[in-house]
Formats: sequence, C-alpha cells, structure tokens
Amino acid sequence: MGYVWDQLRGAIPLIVHGDPYIMGLLWVTLKVAVVSTAAALVVGLPIGLALGLGRFRGRRTLQLLANASLALPSVVVGIAVLLLLLPQGAFGSLRIEFTLQAVYIAQAVLALPFVVALTPAAIQGLPPGLLDQARALGAGRVQLGVFALHEAKIGVMAAVIAALGATVAEVGAVIIVGGNFQGHDETLASALLEQFNYTAHDPYATAIALVLLAVILVLIATLTLIQQRTGAVQFRFRTA
Amino acid sequence: MRLIWDEIQKAVPMILHGNPTLFSVIWFTLQVAVVATAAATVIGLPIGLAIGLGRFRGRQVLRVLANVSLAIPPVLVGTFLFVLFSPQALLGSLHLIYTRRVVFVAQTILALPFVVALTAAAVQGLPPGLLAQARLLGARRRQLWTLALREARVGVMAAVIAALGTTLSEVAAVVILGGNIYGYNQTLASATLYEINGAYYADAVAIAIVLIAMILILMCGLALLQHQGNGIRLRFRSAP
Repeated sequence: MGYVWDQLRGAIPLIVHGDPYIMGLLWVTLKVAVVSTAAALVVGLPIGLALGLGRFRGRRTLQLLANASLALPSVVVGIAVLLLLLPQGAFGSLRIEFTLQAVYIAQAVLALPFVVALTPAAIQGLPPGLLDQARALGAGRVQLGVFALHEAKIGVMAAVIAALGATVAEVGAVIIVGGNFQGHDETLASALLEQFNYTAHDPYATAIALVLLAVILVLIATLTLIQQRTGAVQFRFRTA
Repeated sequence: MRLIWDEIQKAVPMILHGNPTLFSVIWFTLQVAVVATAAATVIGLPIGLAIGLGRFRGRQVLRVLANVSLAIPPVLVGTFLFVLFSPQALLGSLHLIYTRRVVFVAQTILALPFVVALTAAAVQGLPPGLLAQARLLGARRRQLWTLALREARVGVMAAVIAALGTTLSEVAAVVILGGNIYGYNQTLASATLYEINGAYYADAVAIAIVLIAMILILMCGLALLQHQGNGIRLRFRSAP
C-alpha cells in the first residue's frame, strides 16, 4: 500500500492548492457536461414527449430505436461526427474539427439517447388515468406536454443526471473529435487517459482521478436523493 | 456527407475481402467479450443472487453499492487497476500491464457491476409471494437460488447482454492497461482511437461498421428476449 499512499501524497496538494491545469480540466468538463446536456434537452425533450404521449403509428418502433441508441458505442458516434466536421465533410466549412465546439456536438449527440429514451419511460410510468383525464378535460397538445413533464419531472431529472454522468465519464468520442489538446478541449476523463501515454508516476494522474471521482460522486448523491423521494427509478451512466 | 460516403466505399471492401488486420482485431474483441462476460457471470451471478435474495444485515447497503458501481467511469476503474498492477504495487508481481491478459481482466471487472446489479434487480422484481412460498415449502438455499434464477431468467439474460455490450464498446480501461498496442491487444473500439489518430479514416469506418453490426445483433437479441419475457406467465414448478 506504500505505493498508493505515495501517489495520494503527491496528488492531494495539487488539488488543495488549486493547480491551474487541474482546475482548467474541471472547468472544461463542467462546461462540456452542462452545454451538451442542455443542447440534448432542447432537442430531445420534444422528441421524448412525442414518443411518450403520441398515439401515432410506428411509435413503438421509434421507441425501440430510441432505446437501442442508448447502446451506441461512443467511438462510433465520435467517428461519425468527426467525418462530418472534417474540411472535406458536410459541415467542414464551419472549421470546428478538433475544437471544444466539436466536443460539445459529439457529447450532445451522446447525451441525446438518455433524454429521448428515458423521458417516454418516465411518462409511461405515470398513473394510467392521469393523462386521459387531462385529455378528456380538453387539454391541448402543449398543455398536455407541460402537464406530463410536470408530473414526470423526477424521471426526467434522473434522465438529465444520467446524461450529465455519461458526458463526464466519456472518453472515446472526446478524444476522436477533439484531438485531446492540452488546456484546450481536454476533459478530466480524456486527460486522465492521456496521462498514461507518458508516465505512470505522475501525481497529476492521481489528482485528476480524484477530482473526477468527486464529480461522479456528487452526481450519484444527487440521483440518490431524487430517487429516495420517489422510490425506485433505476439508472446507469455508462453508455452501453 | 461526401466524406462519409467516400470512406464507407473504401471501408466496405475491407470487411468483405477479409482484411487480415481487421479480422484479427475482430477475433480478439470477440474473445475478450465472450471470456470477460462469462467470467463476470460466473463471479457476479452468486453475488447478485445473494444481494437480491439474502436477508442478512447490510444487504441494502450492498444493493446501493452495486448500483453505484454501475456509474463509476471506466477510465477511473482503469486508473485504479493501473496503480494496483504497477510493478511497485500490491499486484505488480503478476506482470499484467501492457499484456493481452490484462484486457480480459479489465473487461471482466467492468462487466461485473452489470451482472451483479441487474441480476439483483431482476430477482427482486419477482412477485413477492413466490420465493416466500418456496421457503415455506422447505426449499433449501440452493433450490431457492435455482428457482429464482429460472423465474428471473429474462432479467438475468438482459444483464448478460448489457455486460457483453460494454465489453464491446469500452475503450478507456483497455487503452490505459493494455496500451492499445497495434496488432497485439487492440479491441475494435480501442483500435478506432488509433486509426483516427493516424488519420486512417477508412479503417476507422470499417471498424465502426463492424461494431455497429455487433451491437445491433445484441440489441435484437435483447428485444427478442424482452418480447418473449412479456409473454411469459409465472409458473409454479416444483423445485428440483
């Protein structure tokens, strides 16, 4: 255990004294998590509502697809986004390949399945009569959507936290679309992976790991608090 | 879309003509997925059953821990194992770092939470009277476990498929512990990082296509299972 202890002794001062590199990583990670989850919410919530409330044909198939998209490997998403953003690609004129914006986009795409798949699940878990009653009382489509969101807010919040957790833990897509440029578009997780390319005995690796662990634990604690208010909503962060 | 289309046109022949490098990576990935999932099932099933069925003190805490372990980012698990397996550290004498064996070890450990947490959840989801009745009729522990496994088999299979899914798409721990060495211990997912880094986009797209195909097969298996599962009615069989 002496070895682990030595690693920790080197790492803790870095965190306590607010090492600029690590604080920069934390800042980028939080920005990426919040921006991409917010973008996923803006795009995904209407789709999720349509899947959860709609009574159109093919709804079950679409829902199956939404669930399947949760299993999409992140490296595949990374490759697709990168090829679209490269200069020869469809959105190449934006010139945002290997930048933080590219990371936002890839992470938003990865966060989307959580919102799109888990929102309908939350809505369908509502008491069966509730929405019918609102319909019978003459609620319009917008009113119905707002009402359903309000009633299913805990499930939707859990979906948001799952999306945040996935974006914080994500490595593959971040490295592929961002190129992992130090101090620019590295997140905690992707920087941690990079540490092992050079040297294993860097106190930075341990310090980054500790900060990442802290972020994840805060998310888990929030999720647990939300769940305890409601009972059993079960979630995982990992995409797979 | 031009770029993606061009790369796909280069990638498809690689798959069809059996590019030897690609196929050795596919073979290694399948080996890892099957062996790691099997090992995780052998280790995790008894733990999941004990947590799900047991009536000992502290099982609630263990259930929470099992669920939390699902949310730990693989990059953290990889870092922790790297420290543990470092030459100076506790398990350094095993000489696992940068070998093929360590990929199997890492993926087993990452698959374990899926088997444990989802098996426990599946067993707990059984109708409450069922196991109590079996206990009342004098079922021993092993008989009880067999009964619970048989009745919750759809949930357990879903757990195994989820575990297979992560082993297929996981990158972080494989890269940290194995070193992502070309032609030696790359999996499909980790090989994409290497190919993108070298701007071999056609190879990356070929790998992505294979990866998507594998995940699709798994998802179809899961969908079929769940479809069947909805039709399964509970039968009280005499315990063997």
